[in-house]
Amino acid sequence: MVLQYVAVFFLLGGFFFLIVGVIGLIRLPDVYTRMHALGKCDTLGTGMVLIGLMFLVQDVTNITKLILIMAMIITINPVVTHLIAKTAYNRGTPMAEGSFLINDYVASQRRRRKRQLETNLSKEGGESQT
Amino acid sequence: MINTVLNIIVVGLILFSLLAIIRAYSGPTVLDRVVAMNVITTNVVLIILIFSFLDKSFYYIDVAFVFVLGAFIGTLCILKLLREGHII
Repeated sequence: MVLQYVAVFFLLGGFFFLIVGVIGLIRLPDVYTRMHALGKCDTLGTGMVLIGLMFLVQDVTNITKLILIMAMIITINPVVTHLIAKTAYNRGTPMAEGSFLINDYVASQRRRRKRQLETNLSKEGGESQT
Repeated sequence: MINTVLNIIVVGLILFSLLAIIRAYSGPTVLDRVVAMNVITTNVVLIILIFSFLDKSFYYIDVAFVFVLGAFIGTLCILKLLREGHII
């Protein structure tokens, strides 16, 4: 009987986090902020609901399968979120009004590559003149 | 008690999937739709697991496992198509 109350606690906690994630998906203004809301809330909510189901299913094999599914979701969801963020950044998806970048990685890389190319070209030009 | 809680959670998950479908319909970019599809996949996995407990037919846990892996591969293919223009 105590296990049922613990399971209800975990299930309702996971439900709360899923509510917060979907409200973030609807209300936030940008791709990056939507991923910021969902990458955390969805993983935590799913994990808590699965822990609540583990308290209910009192069988070793099914608990093992649920642990496997929970490990899969906990590893897959942040990886997919990271890849979506990288794809959005590489495609140049615009950000919301009033937001700014602190450290632009791609721009700094492009600047460094351009400078290196210029130094190489000047070296080759010097060699060809002599 | 536990059955009512699980039924409420299933109805809530269906409502969240509908809200995510609204976002996938009106999303300004492609990546919003990918994010919404990811949320719908996770909700469907939870619905399968809760119904497998309510129906006492635990073979559906394997179905949920295969569904997670297939959805992961599908999302990876869509993202690779968006980044490079081809899949293979």
